[in-house]
Order: sequence, then C-alpha cells, then structure tokens
Amino acid sequence: MTREVSRFEFTLLNILRFFLGHAPSDRGLRDLRIQAVRPSCLSGAAIDLVKDSLAKGCVLRLVRAGGWRNDRFLRGGQPVLGRIWERSPLEDRALHFSRHVVEFLLWATSERVHETSAWWDAKELLPADELFYWLAFDACRGDPDVSAVLSCKAAFLENPLCRISFPGELSGTPFGPPNFDACFTGLRAAILECLQPELARRWLRSERSKGQIGDWGTMRNRGEAEHATLSAFLAAARRANRLDLARFVLNVNATLFRGELQPIFWTGGLQGSGPSRLADRLETQRAALAMPRQMRTLCEWEQDARAVGYFDDGYAASQLYKQEWEAAGGETVSVRARAAVDAIEPLRTGTDEANRT
Amino acid sequence: MSRAYRITLKDSDTRRLQAGDEIGTRLEILEILPPEDMGAILREELARRGFQDADDGTVVRKDGDVTITVDPCSGSITVKAETEETVHQEANREASGFNDVGPTEQTLRERVKEQLKQDLDKRFEQEQSRLQNEATERLEQRLKTLEPEISEIVNKVTRDALKQKARQLGDVKEISEDAETGSLTIKIEV
Repeated sequence: MTREVSRFEFTLLNILRFFLGHAPSDRGLRDLRIQAVRPSCLSGAAIDLVKDSLAKGCVLRLVRAGGWRNDRFLRGGQPVLGRIWERSPLEDRALHFSRHVVEFLLWATSERVHETSAWWDAKELLPADELFYWLAFDACRGDPDVSAVLSCKAAFLENPLCRISFPGELSGTPFGPPNFDACFTGLRAAILECLQPELARRWLRSERSKGQIGDWGTMRNRGEAEHATLSAFLAAARRANRLDLARFVLNVNATLFRGELQPIFWTGGLQGSGPSRLADRLETQRAALAMPRQMRTLCEWEQDARAVGYFDDGYAASQLYKQEWEAAGGETVSVRARAAVDAIEPLRTGTDEANRT
Repeated sequence: MSRAYRITLKDSDTRRLQAGDEIGTRLEILEILPPEDMGAILREELARRGFQDADDGTVVRKDGDVTITVDPCSGSITVKAETEETVHQEANREASGFNDVGPTEQTLRERVKEQLKQDLDKRFEQEQSRLQNEATERLEQRLKTLEPEISEIVNKVTRDALKQKARQLGDVKEISEDAETGSLTIKIEV
C-alpha cells in the first residue's frame, strides 16, 4: 500500500530509520544538520509509519543484539533457558513508547541539531523510550557536534542504558551515576538481557581503545566515569539479586585476560610524564583500569555464592552465577586482573609473601 | 618639544609557599583472625616500628617531611610528603614614554606596575612548581624504601596471626621458621 507523506515527514522518517540502523549514517547525520519548517501536526500516514518503524525496528535491534540467543537468565530466582520470547511472556516484553519519542523526532527534524538553541528534553521515560534514545545516541556518535549537544540532555544523561553503554561520553555531568535499580525489573531487565552481548562488545572495544588515549586528563575523566558507573551498576544488580544481568562485566574481563596483561595495555598511549603530583598520576592510572577493578566485586559475589547452601534462599541463582564464573574461567581472570591492578600501586604490600607464609 | 622619559619600577614580595603530594592504598592483610584481632596485631607491630597513636585511631610516623599514617582497623595506609618554604622574589621593569604623545606618565606607570605584578606571580608560580616537584620526588624516594618495610610488616602480622590461631586450635608443640624461604611450620596437638 502506498502512503503519502509531506517532505518534512519524509525527512523525519528517514531520521527515525537512521536511529534504528536502517538508513545510511551519512544521510541521517546530514538530515540532522538541516533545518526544516515544523508543521503544526503530523499526518495520520506519517504517524502510522513512525509506529510501524518503531515497533519493528526496536524489536529487530533487540533480537539481533542478543535476544535470539538461547540463554539462561533468572526468573523469580530460578534460571530459565530459552530465547527472550521463550523466557518472558508477551506482556512483560511489549514496548510502549511515550509522546517524548515523537517530540524528539520533530525537534531533530526541524532543527539544526548541532547548533540549535531551541529547547528540547525529556524526563520520566518509559523503558521503551530509554531504548529508543539509546539507539539514537548510538547512531549520532559518528558526529561529535551532534553527540555533544545530545549528551547535555537529561533524556540521555539520566538514561541508564546510555550511561552503562557510553559512560565516558556522558561523563561531564553533575548528576553522578544514575540510579540503576529500575533496570533490574520488568521490561528494562528484559532489554538488558538482550543487550548483554552488545554491552560486552562495546566495553571490550572501549577497553581496547584506551591504549590510544594520550591526554592524562581525558583518561582520568573517562576512567572515573566508567568506574563510578560500573560500581553503581554492580551494586544495583546485587541489591536486585540479578547477578546474571552483570554477565557482560565478567565476559569482558574474561576476554581481556585470556593472557597476562600489563597496565601498559590501558595506559601505554599517555603522552609525557603527566601531572606533576604522584597522587594525580596514580589516580589516572587507577581510573584507566576501571574494568579490571570490578573483578574484585565479582570475586566477592563468587565467594558469597559458594556459601549458599542447598536449602538456602537463592540457591539456584548462586548455582547459575557459579556456572557463569567457571565458564568464564573466573578464578584465573580474577588473579590476572588483580595482578594488573596491583602493578600500578606504588606500595605493593607483600601479598604474595603473605600468601606463601 | 617632545621629551622622552624612562620609568624604572621595582617590586618585591615574600610569600610562604606550600606543596604536598600523597598516595593512599590498602595493606593486604589476610583474614586469619577476626578483623579487630588482626588490627591489634598490626597496631602492635607498627608501634614497635616507631608509629604513634593519633587521636582518630590511626597510627602515625613522621620521617622528616614524609608522614605515614596507617589505620590498623581498615588497613589503609597514606604516605604524605609536605614541604613549605618562604620565598622572596624581586622584579624590575623599565618603560619609555614621551611627554606629548602616547599614554600619560600615570597610565604608563600603572601599566608597568601591572606587568611587574604579573612577573612576580609568574616567578612564584615557578617556585611553587619547583616545590611541588621536590615534594613528589621526596615521596617517590621514600616509597622505594618503604615498600620492603611494609612487606615485612605484613609478613610479620601474618606470622603472628597464624601463631595466635594455632594456639586457639590446640597446644603448640613446635614452631619452625625459615627466614630464607619465608615458610612457617607450626605443629599443634588438638
């Protein structure tokens, strides 16, 4: 069936398709930089097409990101095997979008996003909105001007999906890490399940790119943001007893520490001798190793899991965590990560000797 | 007729400059005994090495400009180097002007004064940077000698804790230590 839309609506749909990963990025980014006259409202045909694109595009992205995997995640404290549509009933994974999404599309189409002074922002997002803004931010990262404008908006800054995926790019915020508690229930948890492989890929790429950072200040800001975000995320996962949703942290470390790694892997690109104070240099190096430092928490979880008895609450969940730990070679990974973290410490306190004793 | 003149201004200042650097880390003490008992053994060992009790529950030792603070309860250790110096700096500047063109003598004098002030600030900044480097260097030097001592402390605390634990488990029949390998063998009768 052929639907007729106006020129403005055509551009809006193109931008939406670009956010969803169905249109070339050069065209999408070009459309974001062009101003268009905003109509008083969208036609019914355009609204139908927006709904259709959102419904199909977001689901497709989630399925491709990892929802298709026959994986094991917790449901009511019990591991359940299957693909996302087998693990969760439809009502628990249905995506509902609010008016904020269309408002954002109208703003992005009508303004030159990279230099606009026209106000737009969104708060109190639905889980599906958060997913959409996450997709939009990810698509716009290719244009530093556009992503700089978006990274000042609460829709992205306070969006837990954006913060756990791009902590370094959203670090200039006075908000601190967002509250991740809501991410571990309902639809948000289902989205996180789907995004586990995607998050692991992104963090792995981010860790591998740290060796290219030459500026000490940039490294420190990015590392501190990452550490704060990961710590807050893991703490929230612990509170919600959803350690399975922090699987990507273990997997990233497991991939990184297939062999021994020295801190130079992260800090090798830093130029010059850095800040004059040893305290500042040390803090920068510690920040650079934000990801390996999380192994300490994961190690504590593993020790707690070992202590859970057959008749205790959470036995099945602890068994699942132990299986994941063993599959990832957690013990070896933990030792290697610890060695890398300790290597930057100026006072090594003789743990090896103490252990030998 | 146009007449040239030259203004020479001198200024000096004395400032008390302070610089410091510090690192903080955690002693890796094995939990052989309950934390309070491990803390007591650590406190005892540190006291033997010249650390003194502070009001906030930590123990402190001053080695010249370097202060080492240990919290025996948490095992956190801070090493801080501080230095201060009274620095005197002088600066002078000259400027030429004409009585009939350009800025007036008053304006020229104020401009030179401002430049002098900037010169002095710059020199103090350089001195501050020098002091900071000295403090950092002193800290780095001290850390090199402190590392083996900290290792010894951790080992000693671990050994003492093991002996205490052994005494709790039964009658200690024999204790043998090998300083070279660091091995400790305790035979107990339960």
